[in-house]
Amino acid sequence: MTAPKGGYFGKILEVDLSKGEIKTRPLSDEVARKCIGGAGMGDHFLTTEYKAKHDPYAEDSFIFIGVGPLNGTYCPATRASFVNQSVYTGLTSHAEVGGHFGNEIKWAGWDGIYIKGKAKKPVWLSIKDDKVELKDASKMWGKDTETTDEMILKEMKDPYARTAVIGPAGENGVPFAAVIVERFRAAARTSTGALMGNKKLKGIGVRGTKAVPTVEPAKFLQAAKEAEQLAVEREAWQGIKRWGTGGLLEQKQWVTSSLITKNFQTTWYPDIEHIGGEQGARTFWKRHVSCNNCPVHCLKLGVIREGKHKGLIAEGPEYETGGLLGSNLMMKDFAGMMAMIELCDGLGIDAISTGGVLAFTTECVDKGVLTAADLDGIKVKWGYADGYLELIKKMAYKEGKAGKLLAKGVRKMSQEIGKGSEAWAVQVRGKEIAAHDPRGDKNRAYSYAMGQCGGDHHEGDSPEIQARWAMVNSLCMCSFVGGYPWAKETPPVFVNMLNPLCGWNMTSEEYWATARRIITMERSFNVREGISRKDDRLHKRFMTEPLPEGPKKGTIFTAEEEKKMQESYYKYYGWDDNGIPTEATLKSLDLEYLIEDVQKAKKNL
Amino acid sequence: MKEEIKIPEIINKETSRRGFLKGAAMTAGGAIALATIGGVRPKEVKAAEAPKVMQRYLFAERQNCTGCRACEYACNIQHEGVVRPSVARIHVYKHKGVVDIPVICWHCDDHPCIAACPTNPNSLTVDPKGNGIILNEKTCIGEKCLKCVEACPAQYVRVNPDTGQPLMCDMCGGDPECVKACVRQSGQPQGPCLIANTLGFGVNQAYRNVKPVKAGEDMLALLFYPSNGGRPVTGKSGKGR
Repeated sequence: MTAPKGGYFGKILEVDLSKGEIKTRPLSDEVARKCIGGAGMGDHFLTTEYKAKHDPYAEDSFIFIGVGPLNGTYCPATRASFVNQSVYTGLTSHAEVGGHFGNEIKWAGWDGIYIKGKAKKPVWLSIKDDKVELKDASKMWGKDTETTDEMILKEMKDPYARTAVIGPAGENGVPFAAVIVERFRAAARTSTGALMGNKKLKGIGVRGTKAVPTVEPAKFLQAAKEAEQLAVEREAWQGIKRWGTGGLLEQKQWVTSSLITKNFQTTWYPDIEHIGGEQGARTFWKRHVSCNNCPVHCLKLGVIREGKHKGLIAEGPEYETGGLLGSNLMMKDFAGMMAMIELCDGLGIDAISTGGVLAFTTECVDKGVLTAADLDGIKVKWGYADGYLELIKKMAYKEGKAGKLLAKGVRKMSQEIGKGSEAWAVQVRGKEIAAHDPRGDKNRAYSYAMGQCGGDHHEGDSPEIQARWAMVNSLCMCSFVGGYPWAKETPPVFVNMLNPLCGWNMTSEEYWATARRIITMERSFNVREGISRKDDRLHKRFMTEPLPEGPKKGTIFTAEEEKKMQESYYKYYGWDDNGIPTEATLKSLDLEYLIEDVQKAKKNL
Repeated sequence: MKEEIKIPEIINKETSRRGFLKGAAMTAGGAIALATIGGVRPKEVKAAEAPKVMQRYLFAERQNCTGCRACEYACNIQHEGVVRPSVARIHVYKHKGVVDIPVICWHCDDHPCIAACPTNPNSLTVDPKGNGIILNEKTCIGEKCLKCVEACPAQYVRVNPDTGQPLMCDMCGGDPECVKACVRQSGQPQGPCLIANTLGFGVNQAYRNVKPVKAGEDMLALLFYPSNGGRPVTGKSGKGR
């Protein structure tokens, strides 16, 4: 085992909440080079430490907050990655979150934070360089994410610290609870919030003062500056700079026809002009916020200027939040939609899953499957924000009949309700999907159905793009800045940065092999949990109900397209017809330790 | 290629603006001609532009800050060679998670920091060329004193955690890197936040008295509560959670 020369500090912070112990876990250069960091490193721990059919709520289940070698360096737009076995789906999952939180972890001298065990009473984790403490969080318990963020910053007595906290939804064990980072950013699709709540870990505050060791600083800086220039010059980012991803709401409506509408019934929603990016720019946004060293500043903050929500500061709409809590609920009331988005952030709940649940509930009410009595008398109809706001609150606190039902998520709800409701219970592997309709944007089906997290929009739209994204997520890079212009080049821009940073001699081939290794690791974990080809598919609504209107009227995602998608994907990664990684593939990717498990799982299919 | 070496000489010789433009046009033309013959890349033609004016003051248009911290990174690269914002000579403070406030040295004309320095000879001096503050690390007594930190009206001065000495902005000798980084990262829909200038306009003397937290409160009121005299309307944060 050799210590990393550069790019890493060679140590991971290990916290055992049961014992209240804080330890250092060494990280070797070999493991670092094989798994890179972030999502890949988390997958390494998931596959090496868990046995098959692992209980996500078990005492030994861990949360890994990963950073990559590029975090804390001159490289722009790095992020942090939250990795754990999802308590929602039981599968591997990772969520990336921007801001400066990841970089602070790195500057504090850690290559990641590994948290296991369960605390007896609420705690929060304070990290100031090597000084790591578990502190009492009983006063914070029950508070929303904004207040918790303020309290942690106050207790740390450091205005430059950054936080990641959970809200009431996480405390109450809502399985799609989110971690809210720096008050407005969410790592939401992993159910990490619920797991943190289960561990009684209210939040993390981190501040670092070190510099990342670099093997050849001048050479690295030159490569990083070239990469930065690519991001600055990219024409597509000019739109994102102006409207954030909220601007995509209009684009998906008018150009690609993939804007989800009315619980995925159609993609035609001209009323988007009342809730889209241009509305935000004209009436709402006040502040454009960047991640570290990033020229794109896609996060938009604004304030509601009139009406009942006057004075409300909120972030968005982004494409996903505006899609799921906007067009998918047929919203025309911009302020109401922003109130919902902010409520999700405040309560620490995934806005995507929440939007999916609310849309499903509304369609149930529409079709007479659910009545007002089932929903505590709350009025639920398309576009009615007040009813939805009530439901979100109930959901986060699991209050009343409505709260208890909705907090189960779409799949379990439809199982409980029955009456044919699974026909409109749109989910993939138990998770609500994001805001791109795969009938309008067919490549997106790869991301939803083939991506190992399931139902996620940022897994990559083709086998090759998924490999790129796997590296981007493991390097903890922004998929906008790093994913599009950098990862595509051959050799990728990343390699030029990594070699002088870490003292490696990585080639293009090794880069792509690492990407395939990370995806195969994720797949093997899922295979152990019983996933195979039968689960690699979209919800049947997209395969049976043609789009009723719009430029792509009549389109469905055909069975043929599904077959083609699955087969091309398995072929690219060297898996068998059933989507199980073959022995030869596992061997070639240095994943011998998984062969036995995978073979066993294959027999049980 | 010999022609190229002459370029700076021609510029230095210029007496009137007109003569300068003429000269510049000539050299640019010459360089382009060379480019076609000798294979000089168009990038190198830029060498014919006037040399950068020495800047003496730094300003921050706080409304434009996106909190990307490119200024901190650029400062680190210039002075340390690696990114380490905890020792950057410019920093960005995030107020209540909503607004980002750049905290800069305003390069006051009366230099309260230098006035407060007790050592003899004074450990802080003004760079006559770029108006930056230069720290003499040999004479500075560091942690024992830190009178300059107390004296700074903008609460700008931070302490280097390694040496215990204050971190002072030297204006990069008159061509601040942070401003260049800010210009590079900005645009669509707002301009850069950092500006360098040869004149102080006295504005710096006024701005410097606003502490970072107060600046944050001001910015919140200015941007986010436009219709209610700077106060949120419903409850503490307008959320009613």
